[in-house]
Amino acid sequence: MNNFTVMLKKEFVQMVREYKIIWLPLVFLFLGMTQPIISYHLPSILEALGGSEGIIIDPSMAAQSGGEVLATTLASQFDQLGLIIIIVSLMGIVQSDKSNGMLAFILTRPVKVGSYIGGKLVSNYLFIALSVAIGYVASYFYVQFLFTSIPLADLLTALIFYLVWVLFIVGFTTMISTIFNGQGIIALISIVFLIFCRMIVGLSPIIDSINPASMSHYAMEVLIIGSINKGVIFSGLASILLTIFTLSITNHWITKKKFSNEQ
Amino acid sequence: MLRITNLEKSYTSKKVLNGLDLNIKKGEILGFVGGNGAGKTTTLNVITGIVDYQKGKVEINGLSKEAGIEYKKQFFFIPDTINVFKNVSGYDWICFLMNLYGEKDQKRFDQYIEKFDMQEALKKPMGTYSYGMLRKVLLIAAFVISPPIIIMDEPLNGLDPNAVLVFKELIKHYAELGGTVFFSTHLLDIAEKVCSTVAILKEGKIILHDDIQNILGEESLESIFMEAQVYERKASIN
Repeated sequence: MNNFTVMLKKEFVQMVREYKIIWLPLVFLFLGMTQPIISYHLPSILEALGGSEGIIIDPSMAAQSGGEVLATTLASQFDQLGLIIIIVSLMGIVQSDKSNGMLAFILTRPVKVGSYIGGKLVSNYLFIALSVAIGYVASYFYVQFLFTSIPLADLLTALIFYLVWVLFIVGFTTMISTIFNGQGIIALISIVFLIFCRMIVGLSPIIDSINPASMSHYAMEVLIIGSINKGVIFSGLASILLTIFTLSITNHWITKKKFSNEQ
Repeated sequence: MLRITNLEKSYTSKKVLNGLDLNIKKGEILGFVGGNGAGKTTTLNVITGIVDYQKGKVEINGLSKEAGIEYKKQFFFIPDTINVFKNVSGYDWICFLMNLYGEKDQKRFDQYIEKFDMQEALKKPMGTYSYGMLRKVLLIAAFVISPPIIIMDEPLNGLDPNAVLVFKELIKHYAELGGTVFFSTHLLDIAEKVCSTVAILKEGKIILHDDIQNILGEESLESIFMEAQVYERKASIN
């Protein structure tokens, strides 16, 4: 067992002991289920809320397709509340080890900084990806039941695209958690920056090509249109390179700062 | 074994280590003694790589910290402040540390658990442990892993009398087997009884480093420590 594997195992044990393994998938399960149910019952809800004044539901309004509803799950649930929850679950990923002396303790053992970061990133990414996938599949089942069906290939392709964006979220938050010392500021910077990335998608093709958040947009396109945008290859590569860049900064920061709050 | 040459370390405004030289031989139990702010913890932090230094050389078995993992495998460090994952049991924590050092000797692990009387406690989460119990966990890990040198910062803090006795017995045994122990302490009577050599640190410099028999004679380590401090003060005034 090499030290990367040991660190990976330690992270998984910690997730189990801190019950993260239960609450995070449950949150995404809830988020995934919510969107199709709300979309399905929205006309009835509006009708009920309209009261005597009445709200006119246009009968000619086009019914949403299954793909559109699932795409809305990604855009409205996962990219907003889901994103914030991922950041909150990650904000202490390195910061807490740094503040309680655990980082110094571990790195005075025969562990490379790369193994430490790798163990954190891989374990958290795999677990968050699994949680997102659980919520996504739950949403898919509701969509299948309440709306039209979605081709399985489109479903999987969109999930893969979306998980590239999630990879960047994990890498970026890990970097911010390494650089800053307060959990509040870590959460604030990560949330503002990542939501900003998501908001500017579609404004310019050039920005889109280097914006990791456009992977979420491409995932939605696959679900709605059923075809893959050509820009996905470049954006995908850019997202992976940017994630590697964030990890290099994390690695450099820990190595350079000697993993302690040196005076 | 451990060789420190002309070590200098400054924090922003203060020079903490001022040309420190120290040579520790294999099988030595060195007590590192000094007043508050003398630079004991900084020296240990430099050796273990927690903080960087401006000048000098630190080598363990001929390896400098540039050797990376191989250098880190030469020692096991027990810091003064012990932080652990509160939800993880002591048993799992020691296994984790053993895995990091590639140590698999379960029999030896069981023997040390028994010596420190931690059979039941190790099954519980470490969040429930006292400071002394956390120290015992790390001492067990250190003796099981058995690196060339065990480095400890104030190892006796928080230990109950029984654990102190076990500690003394074990480090002597460890040194007899060829291991080296280097620890900082302010408990001079313990240092007197346990250490084979003592180094006195003052203002970032070693002012005395010798075998305990050569140092002691008729006097206690406490009075020698005080004398050395006063002598150095007079020398610096003159």
